[in-house]
Amino acid sequence: MRRADYVIKRTFFAFVTIFVAITLNFFLFRVIPGDAVSNLARVPHATPALRQALEEEFGLDKPKWEQYLIYLKQLAHGNMGVSFANQEPVWSNLKTALANTLPMVTLGTVIAIVIGLITGVLSAWRRKTKLDHISTNVAIAFYAFPTQWLALVLLIYLSGFLPSHGMTNDFLLNPTPWEHFKDVGLHMILPAMTLALTLYGQYTLVVRSSMLETLGEDYVLTARAKGFTQRKVVTRHALRNAMLPTTTLIALSLGYIVAGAILIETVFSWPGIGSAVYQAVTQRDYPMLQGAFLVLTVSVVAANFVADLLYFKLDPRITE
Amino acid sequence: MGVRADSVADGTGLEGPPPRRQRGGWFVQVLRESTQAKVGLGVLLFFIAVALLAPWIAPYSVHEQTGAVYCPPSPRHPLGCDDGGIDMLSLLIVGGRTSLIVGFAATFVAMIIGGGIGITAGYRGGWLDGVLMRITDYFLVIPDLPLAIIIAAVWGASLTHLIFVIALLLWTTTARIVRSQVKSVRERVYVKRTRSLGAGSSRIVFRHVLPQIAPLLIANTVLTVAIAIFDETALSFLGLGDPSAVTWGSIIEFAFLRSAISAGAWWAIIPAGLCVAFVIMGCYWLGQSIEDALNPRLKVAHLSPRSFRLRPISRREDAE
Amino acid sequence: MTLLSVRGLHVWFDLPDGRELRAVQDVAFDLNSGERMGLVGESGCGKTTTILALMGLLPSSASVGGEVLLDGVNILEGGEESLRPHRWNDVAMVFQGAMNALNPVKTVEHQIVEPMELHHQAEGAAASKRAGELLELVGIPAAAGARYPHEFSGGMRQRAAIAMALACSPRILLADEPTTALDVMVQAQILELLTELSEELGLALLLVTHDLPVVAEICERAAVMYAGEIVEAGPMDELFHSPRHPYTRLLFAATPDLYGDEPVLSIPGAPPRLDQDITGCPFHPRCDKAFDRCRHERPELRDVAVGHEAACHLNDEASWSGSRIE
Repeated sequence: MRRADYVIKRTFFAFVTIFVAITLNFFLFRVIPGDAVSNLARVPHATPALRQALEEEFGLDKPKWEQYLIYLKQLAHGNMGVSFANQEPVWSNLKTALANTLPMVTLGTVIAIVIGLITGVLSAWRRKTKLDHISTNVAIAFYAFPTQWLALVLLIYLSGFLPSHGMTNDFLLNPTPWEHFKDVGLHMILPAMTLALTLYGQYTLVVRSSMLETLGEDYVLTARAKGFTQRKVVTRHALRNAMLPTTTLIALSLGYIVAGAILIETVFSWPGIGSAVYQAVTQRDYPMLQGAFLVLTVSVVAANFVADLLYFKLDPRITE
Repeated sequence: MGVRADSVADGTGLEGPPPRRQRGGWFVQVLRESTQAKVGLGVLLFFIAVALLAPWIAPYSVHEQTGAVYCPPSPRHPLGCDDGGIDMLSLLIVGGRTSLIVGFAATFVAMIIGGGIGITAGYRGGWLDGVLMRITDYFLVIPDLPLAIIIAAVWGASLTHLIFVIALLLWTTTARIVRSQVKSVRERVYVKRTRSLGAGSSRIVFRHVLPQIAPLLIANTVLTVAIAIFDETALSFLGLGDPSAVTWGSIIEFAFLRSAISAGAWWAIIPAGLCVAFVIMGCYWLGQSIEDALNPRLKVAHLSPRSFRLRPISRREDAE
Repeated sequence: MTLLSVRGLHVWFDLPDGRELRAVQDVAFDLNSGERMGLVGESGCGKTTTILALMGLLPSSASVGGEVLLDGVNILEGGEESLRPHRWNDVAMVFQGAMNALNPVKTVEHQIVEPMELHHQAEGAAASKRAGELLELVGIPAAAGARYPHEFSGGMRQRAAIAMALACSPRILLADEPTTALDVMVQAQILELLTELSEELGLALLLVTHDLPVVAEICERAAVMYAGEIVEAGPMDELFHSPRHPYTRLLFAATPDLYGDEPVLSIPGAPPRLDQDITGCPFHPRCDKAFDRCRHERPELRDVAVGHEAACHLNDEASWSGSRIE
C-alpha cells in the first residue's frame, strides 16, 4: 500500500537522522584534541570511585571504535554520563529541563501560529493596501530582531509588570497547586510572548504568500462560478488549501524554535533545556552539552516526523 | 509587501505587447521596478559604507575609556557609553564592521560549499546526487544552533572558527537551490549541444549554467547574509564568539552579562539590536524583491473584498 | 425568445499606473437553446474576458458595461447580486485547463455534489447518485467519483469538469479552450461529447478557442474577435468560404492544412495595445488590404449577408469580391 510506504520511509529517515546526530556527537567530542573534552570521566572534583565507574562504563581505555559501540549501548539505556557541574546523571538533569521548556515553547509557538495565520490571511485578502504593507513589514521587522535582543527589550520595559526571572517565585512558600500554577503561568508570560513575537513573522509571510497563491487558483474561480458567495469560497475552499504549507512551515521552523528557546531561556533564566545549554557552555560541562544536543535533535526529528505525517494526512496528493 | 515588479495588467489575464528588454540587465530592472529593492539595497549600502569607513568615522577608540561607566547619551557621546566607559557609537561602528565581515565571509564559504555540492549533485546525478542530497537532508533536520554550539564549544572561540561554524549551518539551502537549477538547465538543448561539440564540463558549468542560475543565487546569497548575521549575534550572545572581537552580537552579550538593564542603560542594548535588525531587513527586502521578480506569480486574485464595478454606457462610447 | 442576448458589452481593467485597459468593446451576440457558437481569436483578444463577464467572474480591477439578457432580463444590472443566482443553474462554465479547475484536496464526486446542495437541487444520497449519473454521462465510471483529481488523466479531468458543469442542469455552457493541452484523440472525444450533450439536452454551447479546426468541427456559427471587438460573425461555412474581414480570412488561412501542401501563413505583426486609444481600424497595421480610409475611420459592424456581419470598409466597396486566399 502506498500510504504505508510513505510512513515507513519517513520513520526510517527519522531514525537514520538521529543515528547521524549520535555519531556526530560522539566523534566531535573525541576526535578534536583536548583532554577535558574527550574524557567523560574527567568530572571535576569527582571522587576516584566515580571516575573509576565512568571509565568502566564508557570503556575509556579501549580503542575508539569500541568506545563508540559502548556509547551506543549506554545511550540505549539512557546513560549519557554525568554532569561536570552537579555530578548528577545527565539524563535526569535534562529530563527536568525539558519538562520545563515544553509548556513555555508550546504556548509561544501556538500564539505565534495564531497571530501568523490571522495576519497572513488578512494581508493576503487586502493585498497591496496599506494594511498589507504595514502588516508585512512589521512581520519582517520582528523576524529581523535578534531573539535575545527582543527578550532584553521586553525585559527592560515589562519587568515592572511581569515576573522576568526564573519559573517560580522563590519567596512563595508552600504554594497550593493552583497558586503554583498561577505562579508558573505568570512567569511564563514574558518568555512565551518573546518566542511568539520572534516566531510569528515567518508564519505571516508564508501564510500570506500561500493564501495569495490559492486566491489565484482556478478552482477558487470555479467555486465562485458555482454560485458561492466570496466569503464562502474563502472559508470553504481557499483557507483549507492555503493552510497546507503551514504544516510544513512549522516543521521547518523547529530549528528556529529551538534557537529561540535557548536564547530566551538564557535571558529570562527560565530553567529549561535552553538554559541548560547555556550553562553547559559557560561551565564547559561537556557531557551536559552532548546530552542536550542529542535531546534537542531527537525532539526536532520527532516533531518533524509528526509534521510529515500530518501533512500526509491532509494532502491527498502525497502518495510517496 | 512593497511594490512588486508588475507587468502591464495585473489582474487582466491578458497579454500586452511583448515586454521590452531593459538596458543594464535584470538587476537594474528589478531595482527600477521595485521600491522594496531600492530601500533594501540602500540600507545595505549604508551599513557597508559605514563598515568600510569605520576606522575613519568612529569618533573614539574602542579600546579606551572615554566616558563614565554607562554614561547616558550626551552631545559628547551620542549613544552613551558601555560598562567600560567606551563610546557606544564607536562600538557600533567598529562592531558593525566585524559583524558584516563575519556575515559576508560565512556566506561566502557557505556559497562555495553549497554551490560546489549543488553543482556536483545536479550535474553528475546518479548515486552521487542521492548521497549528497541525503547528507543535505540530515543537516537540514538537525537543529542549527545546538549544532553550532557544540562545534564552537569544542573547537574554541575565534572569528575564523565562527565563520566556518556559521557557514556549516548555511550551505544546505544553497546546495538545494543550486542543484535544482543546475538540473533544469542541464536538460536544456543548448547544453546538450555544447557537450556534443566537445566542450568540457567545467566550461559548460561556468559559461552556461552559472549565468542562468546567477539571479536566484544572488537572491539566496543576500538572504543567507541575513541569517549569518543573525547566527553571529546568537553565538556571540552565548559566549561562543571571539572574546577579543567587537561585534554587534558581543555588544549585546556584554550588556547582558554586565547588568546593563539594572543600570538602566538601554543605550547599551537597543541600538546594537536595531542595527542588526536593519541589516537583516535590508537583506530580506533586497533578496525577496529579486526572488519575486524571478518567480512572477502574477496570479489574478479571483477573490477580493471589492467586486467588479458596473459602468453605464453612453451613446458616444458605443459609436466610438 | 432568445435564451441569451448580449448587448454592447464593454470591459475595462484598471492598470497599476492609473490608466485603463480596454479589454472588451461593444460585443454583442445572441445564443439560442441547443445552438453551438464559437468565439475565436488570438490570445489576448478578449474572448475569455467576455465569457467571464457573462457570469460576472471578473476581478475587482474590472469595470463592466452593457447588457446581458437572460430570458430577456438583464442579469448584469445588479452586479454580483443579480448574477449569482444564475451561476451554475442557468449558465455554467468549463475552464481552460481543467487540471487546476478541480480542487486537489476534494474528491471529484464531492465537487459535483457541492453546487447541487448549494442550489438546493439535491442532497445527500440523491445528490451522490446524480453525480454518478453525470459521470457516466461523460464517460467516466461512477465509482471513480471517490477519487481525487490528480488521479485522473488530462482527458478524464476535462470530462469530470464537464460533468461538474452539468450538475445543476444549466441551459448554457461556456467552454473556454476545453481541448487545449489534450492530445488529438482525446480532443475528438471531448468535442463529440459536447456535441452530443448539446443535441440531447438542448444545451446552448459557447465555445471559446483560438483553435479553428475545433470550432469548425462542432459549431454552426462563430464570432471572430480582434483587439476586444467582434470583427466578424456568421455561419461557420460562410466564415470559412467567404470571409468578409481580412483578419478572418488570414486566420482561417493560417491554419495548417494536414492534407494539402499549401504554405502555412502567419499573420505578421502583433495586436494593438489596449491601453491606448486606437484610431481607425484596429487591424489596419497588419492588414494586407488596408487603404487610406482604414487608418482614419473605425469600421462599424454591419450586415453583409443574412445572419452574417463584418466590420470592414472593404464591404462598402462595390468591388469587394469576397475571394479567399490570394
